[in-house]
Amino acid sequence: MSLRLASLVVALLPAFALAEPGAGKGVDFRRDVLPVISSKCFHCHGPDEKARKAKLRLDVREDALLDRDGFRAVVPGDPAKSEMMLRITSKDEEEMMPPPKEDKPLTAAEAEILRKWIAQGADYSQHWAFVKPQQIDVFVQPPGARTRNEVDNFITAKVSEQGLRQSPEADKMTLLRRVSLDLTGLPPTAEEMSAFINNTADAYEHEVDRLLASSAYGEKWARMWLDLARYADSRGYGSDQLRMNVWPWREWLIGALNRNVPYDQFSTEMLAGDLLPGATPEQMVATGFHRNTMTNVEGGTDDEEYRVAAVKDRVATTMQVWMGLTAGCAQCHSHKFDPISQKEYYQLFAVFNQTEDADREDESPRMPVKTKGEEEQRAKLNGEIAAIEARGGVASAAFEAELHQWEAKIAPLADVLPPTKERDLPANIAATLALEPSERSQQQRTELNEFFRPKSKIFAAAAKEIEGKRAQMAKIKSVELPIMRERTADKRRKTFLLNKGNFLAPGDEVAAAIPVAFAPPPKLAQGEEMNRLALARWIFSADNPLTARVAVNRFWAQIFGTGIVETEEDFGTQGQFPSHPELLDWLAVKFQTPKADGGLGWDMKALLRLIVTSQTYRQSSKVSAVAAQKDVRNRWLSHYPRRRLEAEALRDQALALSGLLSRKIGGPSVYPPQPDGLWSVAFNGGQNGYPTSKGEDRFRRGLYTFWRRTAPNPTMFTFDAPSRESCTIRRMPTNTPLQALVTLNDPVFVECAQSLARRIVSDAKGDAASRIRWALELCLCRPATDAQVAALRELYDAELANYKGNTAAATQLATNAALPLPQGVDAAELAAWTVVSNTLLSLDGVLMKN
Amino acid sequence: MNLHQLHSQTRRQFLNTTGQFSLGAIALQSLIGHASAASSGNPLAMKAPPLPSKAKAVIYLSMSGAPPSLDMFDWKPELKAKDRMDCPENFLKGEKFAFIKGKPKLLGSPYKFAQYGQSGTWVSEKLPFMAKMADDLCVIRSMNTDQFNHAPAELMIYTGNMRNGSASMGSWVTYGLGTENQDLPGFVVLLSGGSDPTGGKACWANGFLPGAYQGVQCRAVGDPVLYVSDPAGMSRETRRRSLDALKKINQGEAELFGDPETITRIEQYELAYRMQASVPDAFNIAKETPETLAMYGAKPGEGSFANNCLLARRLIEKGVRFVQLFDWGWDIHGTGAHDDLMSAFPKKCLETDRACYALVQDLKQRGLLDSTLVVWGGEFGRTPMNEARGGSKALGRDHHPHCFTMWMTGGGIKRGINYGATDELGYHIAENKVGVRDLQATILHQLGFDPYQMNYRYQGLNNRLIGPTNEGKIVKGILA
Repeated sequence: MSLRLASLVVALLPAFALAEPGAGKGVDFRRDVLPVISSKCFHCHGPDEKARKAKLRLDVREDALLDRDGFRAVVPGDPAKSEMMLRITSKDEEEMMPPPKEDKPLTAAEAEILRKWIAQGADYSQHWAFVKPQQIDVFVQPPGARTRNEVDNFITAKVSEQGLRQSPEADKMTLLRRVSLDLTGLPPTAEEMSAFINNTADAYEHEVDRLLASSAYGEKWARMWLDLARYADSRGYGSDQLRMNVWPWREWLIGALNRNVPYDQFSTEMLAGDLLPGATPEQMVATGFHRNTMTNVEGGTDDEEYRVAAVKDRVATTMQVWMGLTAGCAQCHSHKFDPISQKEYYQLFAVFNQTEDADREDESPRMPVKTKGEEEQRAKLNGEIAAIEARGGVASAAFEAELHQWEAKIAPLADVLPPTKERDLPANIAATLALEPSERSQQQRTELNEFFRPKSKIFAAAAKEIEGKRAQMAKIKSVELPIMRERTADKRRKTFLLNKGNFLAPGDEVAAAIPVAFAPPPKLAQGEEMNRLALARWIFSADNPLTARVAVNRFWAQIFGTGIVETEEDFGTQGQFPSHPELLDWLAVKFQTPKADGGLGWDMKALLRLIVTSQTYRQSSKVSAVAAQKDVRNRWLSHYPRRRLEAEALRDQALALSGLLSRKIGGPSVYPPQPDGLWSVAFNGGQNGYPTSKGEDRFRRGLYTFWRRTAPNPTMFTFDAPSRESCTIRRMPTNTPLQALVTLNDPVFVECAQSLARRIVSDAKGDAASRIRWALELCLCRPATDAQVAALRELYDAELANYKGNTAAATQLATNAALPLPQGVDAAELAAWTVVSNTLLSLDGVLMKN
Repeated sequence: MNLHQLHSQTRRQFLNTTGQFSLGAIALQSLIGHASAASSGNPLAMKAPPLPSKAKAVIYLSMSGAPPSLDMFDWKPELKAKDRMDCPENFLKGEKFAFIKGKPKLLGSPYKFAQYGQSGTWVSEKLPFMAKMADDLCVIRSMNTDQFNHAPAELMIYTGNMRNGSASMGSWVTYGLGTENQDLPGFVVLLSGGSDPTGGKACWANGFLPGAYQGVQCRAVGDPVLYVSDPAGMSRETRRRSLDALKKINQGEAELFGDPETITRIEQYELAYRMQASVPDAFNIAKETPETLAMYGAKPGEGSFANNCLLARRLIEKGVRFVQLFDWGWDIHGTGAHDDLMSAFPKKCLETDRACYALVQDLKQRGLLDSTLVVWGGEFGRTPMNEARGGSKALGRDHHPHCFTMWMTGGGIKRGINYGATDELGYHIAENKVGVRDLQATILHQLGFDPYQMNYRYQGLNNRLIGPTNEGKIVKGILA
């Protein structure tokens, strides 16, 4: 059916030939018509053959035009003769379409679109996203627009077309904070700020390069991938047992991003690293991506049921992440809106159905991964053993001395006494002893050492100590990461279409294959299988219309808050039409074109660099009166879209500003403080206690926080972090009173305020007003206004007076066990600064990116 | 205070302080426009239901672990007569049990039953209080599910999907109706029995709905709502002054950037401040009279089911939309005294019977029952056979999806009726099957929704509480 649809494309025009700016008069099938018929008609007259009514389908032109005993649903050029128009404009409940019981009435505007479309000739063309992006000419720069690269040409053309005006550039400091948060997830330090402000004109590009090269870049962008990969440190489902062995995958992720592995290779390794010829251990680790699916160990559950659920999750996640398609619908019935039949779904399922994992308790197959921590531990023990040997081994001075003492004791006896046990020496040793030490050969010395060793007390003590260390060494186990591994050829599973997705209701057997509507199927060499690697190659083939678009759109959305296609998760016919279709395609083509041909060759850092060095990105975030009226949602980007920081960045920023942040990179997940009692779950094998971390692990970046699916960190959850039970393409930011309670009262934020107060006392100079100015500029990263200073000055004075009379309360507020009152600091003063800091960390300008 | 007052007040406050603003007329206008848009964009703003409604609030008493209906409401004399006899073969054919192996023996209820009220409802001797209110209840003895493990069954009944990731009933309801009292969460979850339900926090998750609709788990120990208390050493006056300074600076921010989200944020911090006062007040059951406390068997300071019932009434009274209680401990397998029919089960009855009665009577006395739908029940049923896992001598019943009992009252539900019936051994449903989807459809219907139309588009699918098919039917027979 989808082949038919593809073959019926009237003309394969460049995808946006009809959607040019200014072409407002005619209707475009893809932009205007398809969204209407897809949401209002396809339910009964679309690709799903089982739900089809009156044997009519409107997704195929041939069918819509078919003569049905004297009338046709669509008569090109003649709306009046088209049954479709009669039905959608009818007031008769029996006749009208969509039927009243569907409760999906067409609006007058929608009916008018359909009328115009039929009048225009009822042209059908393929859904825009299923047509390969074409090379697009960069738009001409509108007069007066300021542009820095091609991105700006596309954006400013639309801005002026919409009667809006490009905003001036944001001030330097705001820009530095913005780009630091976007690229590394951390605010700039005071040093970075002053270095930047004093630097030359092209300093911004230098900053971008510095940030992209910093290790914090990989941590920040790993966050996005952790959501996509539904990474968590627990198995999910009812008992949600802990997974202590999956963090090495995160380690790989951070490293791969920092090494800037090209997107196609990076993705292929995650999807099919195990199937690459001569797969390296790193590539095997990459496949942990698809082992982040949930497993169920609750008593009485059927392993096969949950294995099938995991395979479905892999199909859904793969299609979502790389192709922006919602394939999951097709597990129960052919997709209602997009060309994926139920059979095709299970053919894709078959591709993922051959791995060894099977919802087992031990999460096999697993692979031991040598981790940095483990290597460090070994090296430390080896060092200690060497030190003990140096202290008490046969080569040590102490051993030598003990040997000399023994020789001294035994030598005189040799002359005067008859042979005794003590003197019962082997001939070679006796001969050696007869020689002066300096006359002994190397071999003789070795023999003597060996002979004396069992008698040496010093050696015995050292040996015992070494034995202890060796035992410790033996206890170091490599973390065993769950990985993807294909079953051997003789153990392949058969795949069946599952009726209504039910694993107990198999239908016809299906073979592995790829949905035909999107790109030609991969050409398999002799003996090559239609497996995950073939799928990955297909995803990254030059013919795939979706992969590059979906990727650039995602990076764009991460930077600007909203994608060019707002429905990042759905590029299908139900998804939204791009705000800037030409820019999307230009970026997509640029991203996937090899570097040798002038493209970016799937270079993720280069793509980000292109976006953040655009003038569009560098605009001020002030909303003009015109923009506030004409473009409330800022879809035309006439100014930089102000946005709240994501959950992890809010934590990291508070820790960074207060000087508490640990910059330790990688390692197992950590347990920052959280309220007691949040981990009590039934049947979880006693994993109810939350082992709060000590030392610097309390202050690690948010991405290292232990992620338990059924009991996620409450602060992160409050700021819209997902549970990671399934792939999350975009987080939906909310603004709630519970979030206010976090920044005001969460002990983590309170500790940050206490620590920031100490910085104000120790690092800032001058009177209260200038200290306040310093703190405001640190937190907001821009010059403070007098009004801001005055507001906090008033607060500071009031609280100083308040706490002067109440030392007990002051001490309670300003100190904790880890942060005692610093010497020579007045408790009331510190408490007043703590209140000020607590307020600073809740400022809109701090929670938001300006 | 209702939402309208709240917002007009917020807007007034905002207008009153605009003296400091130097906005042009248009910018000011657009800011105010945004502020009200942001307010009406408040995810929990009160919304009228699309259809006429019978109930405006819900108290859902979730008996986590699945209570044994055969020892509570579903009296089976025939089962009693065949106590410890072999289970008929035809019942076992093709059946899959969680724990029962081989040929199980039938288990008649060891408890006495009697009929109560005008309705002649059969109730076990272990539930003397619920027996007293037989004529307040609509007892549905023909509930059915297709899940027989705790977590999937709970998720199925509370989120409409056996797997994690969907929106819970309370989330749907607050999404559809918002909530009356903005100073309290709209969807409150209270736990007792020493453990989360097996389905975990997914039972009250927002799923694909925005995070604001997630159930707020309130706790008996520590802050009732996380972080509702100011840090130690900070007085309310200090907090007020700090929020005043915050507001001043944020208003400057709004003026500078013209971002409506800043206005919303100012409102949210003010809401938080009010929540800090209203939450501890709402959760302070010590404010109740000694008579009321005694009626429920509530003791301030405990995390008991009785306390939670009383809290539920207090919260509903204050305009909370959906309160869901989860009481863990009903998984009566009979592997030992800790989970058997003779010791563990009577203890659970004792912990909950009086409080359920008190809750319904209290709502009635206060005129709240008519507009509050109260639902009681577990996630599936329990077998008419003795489980005898590993030869256990303790009596108990295994998981049984085919039939179980629930009861409802208030919110436009017929009172004093028994609906549906099981067969003579309590194995299958004999008449008027009520599936999980039917229950969900009925609850939504009482609140003024069309359960078939109420959907949320996510990942290409119009997700509904009642699931993708239209098998769920509104149970007309129990509607008043």
